[in-house]
Amino acid sequence: MTRRTLPRALAATAAAAAIALVAGGCAASDTPEKKPVEWKLSATTPAPAGDIDSFTWASYAEPFSLDYAYAFDYADNQILSNVCESLLRLNPDFTLSPGLAESYEHPTPETFVYTIREGVTFHDGTPLTAADVVASMNRHLDPAVGSFWYSAYQNVTSIEQTGDRQVTVTLAVPGEQFNLAMGSSAGVIESAATLAAKGADYGNSTGGVNCTGPFELADWKSGESITLKRYDGYWDASLKAKAAEVTFVFMADPTARVNALASGDVDGSWLVPSSAVQQLQNSKAGDMYFGLTSAVGSLVVSNLQGPLGDLKVRQALMMALDRKGILDAAGSGIGEVTNVLTTKSVWVGADAGAVDSAFTDVEPYDYDLAAAKKLVEDAGVAGEEVTIVTAPISGEFAVISQATAAALESIGLKAKIESITPGAYTTMFSDPSAREGVDLFYTNWYLSSPDPLEMYGVLRTGEFSNYGGWSDPEFDEVVNTAMAIDDPAARSAETAKAQQIANAQLPWLPLYTAPTTLFLGTRITGAAPSIAYLYYPWAATIGAR
Amino acid sequence: MIAVRRVAGKPGGLLLTLFLASLLIFFSRFLVPGDPVDFLLRGRKPSPEAIAEVTAQYGLDLPPWQQYLDWVGGILQGDFGRSLQYRQDVTTVIGDRLPVTLGLVVMAGLMIAIAGLGFGTIAALNRGRSGDRLVLIALTVLAAIPSFVGSIVLIAVFSVQLGWFPSFGSGEGFWDTVYHLVLPSVALAIVFTVLVAKVTRSAMVEQLVREHVEVATSRGLSRGAVVGRHVFRNALWPIVTVSGILVAGLLVASAIVESAFGLAGMGSLLVQSVDRLDFPVVQAIVLLVVTAFVVVNAIVDVLEPWIDPRTAAGAGAR
Repeated sequence: MTRRTLPRALAATAAAAAIALVAGGCAASDTPEKKPVEWKLSATTPAPAGDIDSFTWASYAEPFSLDYAYAFDYADNQILSNVCESLLRLNPDFTLSPGLAESYEHPTPETFVYTIREGVTFHDGTPLTAADVVASMNRHLDPAVGSFWYSAYQNVTSIEQTGDRQVTVTLAVPGEQFNLAMGSSAGVIESAATLAAKGADYGNSTGGVNCTGPFELADWKSGESITLKRYDGYWDASLKAKAAEVTFVFMADPTARVNALASGDVDGSWLVPSSAVQQLQNSKAGDMYFGLTSAVGSLVVSNLQGPLGDLKVRQALMMALDRKGILDAAGSGIGEVTNVLTTKSVWVGADAGAVDSAFTDVEPYDYDLAAAKKLVEDAGVAGEEVTIVTAPISGEFAVISQATAAALESIGLKAKIESITPGAYTTMFSDPSAREGVDLFYTNWYLSSPDPLEMYGVLRTGEFSNYGGWSDPEFDEVVNTAMAIDDPAARSAETAKAQQIANAQLPWLPLYTAPTTLFLGTRITGAAPSIAYLYYPWAATIGAR
Repeated sequence: MIAVRRVAGKPGGLLLTLFLASLLIFFSRFLVPGDPVDFLLRGRKPSPEAIAEVTAQYGLDLPPWQQYLDWVGGILQGDFGRSLQYRQDVTTVIGDRLPVTLGLVVMAGLMIAIAGLGFGTIAALNRGRSGDRLVLIALTVLAAIPSFVGSIVLIAVFSVQLGWFPSFGSGEGFWDTVYHLVLPSVALAIVFTVLVAKVTRSAMVEQLVREHVEVATSRGLSRGAVVGRHVFRNALWPIVTVSGILVAGLLVASAIVESAFGLAGMGSLLVQSVDRLDFPVVQAIVLLVVTAFVVVNAIVDVLEPWIDPRTAAGAGAR
């Protein structure tokens, strides 16, 4: 039962923050009369006409660190994915392919044997060896490092070099979940010599990194920008960078970001605020793209001792939430209402029938106020109070908390909205005491591996991110069974059951899923709009338009 | 001689002020809810050993007084601790951002001095007439514009519409940096200019009606000489006093402007660090601002006798 509770909770908040920042107060004031934003999913953007000297990219925040052990967020990973590479590669379509491991074997249910690729060099020119792999991976097990990706490694008992170019990972429990995480930052490989030389400064703006990716870190102007330059010794000809240089500028202010994109000062950005999408679409500054996501926005039920402890009340709230209206107001209508906690994108290698059943044989919770009121009366909790916690992270947060409060009031409950700082909001994801007295909070939770079990593993009894302490023995059984199955198709049949149980029991209330947003200015093209940009060297594919 | 005594009398009081400030700055962090370690772990699932290890690495397991002594001891050796968010020495984190803020404050300071003194003088010399009213109305309107609104308007007009100035970043090299800091400095200077102009106006008006000015004028001295020698010189003291206070205000107010223009300065760093419970950075910045404030005001005190002849003569009005 490998389990990965990635730090994406935080990431989610930050991402939302980014989105929200730009959305600013506008989202809340969006009028229903406003024409909905037109959008359609794309898998790619037009191929570049050729190489380009340089381009600039806007990021809503500066990475705290480029140390892969702490790269857990949009700001860090969108840069790191171009500089550092993992054992496996998570592609824009969310499939995994060989990366720094040219192949791997799974000889016993508890072991993975990775064969390290030959001819790969780090940015300082030294060759990649099995010893680098062992050193890089072992850091996640070192308490002094305090890796954010520890959960991906928590069942690992040993990481050893077992051949000239071979590394064997032994697990305490059977299952493929560990390997599935090797396409994310959990699988990044750094030079052992660099790790030793930089020590505590590894990955910060003075220490820097020395990896194998298509770009190397050239300059980190603290607080302002990071510049990458093409690494000429890059091993994979198909992903050799088309741009000689990329500069990431940190623009916390959403208005400033949109201005910079609209005026052509900056060439592109991920996480375009939904409220600015229409403006950018109408501008001549470039094109908006919408792509694959693995994130679902949901309300976490963090207290099962209160009124929401009764399933009838959770169902009632779902039926009282006008999720389409919330999506329109909070996300300019860009996205889809969902009844489940995963997106189809992460069901890679799944059985088609299982996917169909996981997404259609579920309760739709259509808007029905009368039935919802009745459920609350039946539960005997009418008039009780529910506390929603929110933070001024984005317009999205404001809209969702207000709409949830209105929905609660409309079915005979009292609602209280508590607004806390974004920092305090973040600690709710790690500190149980910060969640005391909190019944509901919003999160936009993304997955980092091509398997929906990553989501459902989190909701098992006693899990760190099972914030409400929800427990369902049948659900635990199903998830644990699924985790031990190596074949993705066979596994997906079990996972579908887990998805159906979560949909029926509502430990979290799924609201909607919004696509990954990408803006490319008129000078550049070539990136695939997909949330895989967090782990895939997307900037290498961008060239001149 | 008086000036010498004043300087000599300062260091003791200055050090005491800084010591008390350091106590307040350091221990106030224990009043803030939230555990810095939670920020370090940021929502991930840690191993219990990692929590203990990380807590020890940042000295957060020590008793508060021990943490205080370590902190002060470190500062005396130029070590402000390690930033929790950037996992880097605070001196490096702040050192990277200090030039931007200093550049911003110096440029805004010059603008404030020139425009503030200029408008104040124009208003005072035209008191009661239309020129005065015009300046006063303009100042009142400007004073009502918060820095962030000013920033947005400036960017919208001069960056996006006209394309004269960059909308973000601090530039490379001296002249490029100056170019990049023009709009942010203007945004920062507006409110303070109004303050200086109003103080200048009232101080000069006060002087203009005094006897010695009338005497000077009746002696047939030119208007320029009267204003320069008698009015302006006597009016300078309140203006300098206000300016000393402005320095701290500028340092703090720069946060908003820095955020709006995407400048990596101390102000935006402070705001971020407060939100992220990055206490070592917050404490270092606050201590630096307090020190700057105390030192600038000490300098103003030392300068007083030269500026205000009455003090030097020992017949000060105070």
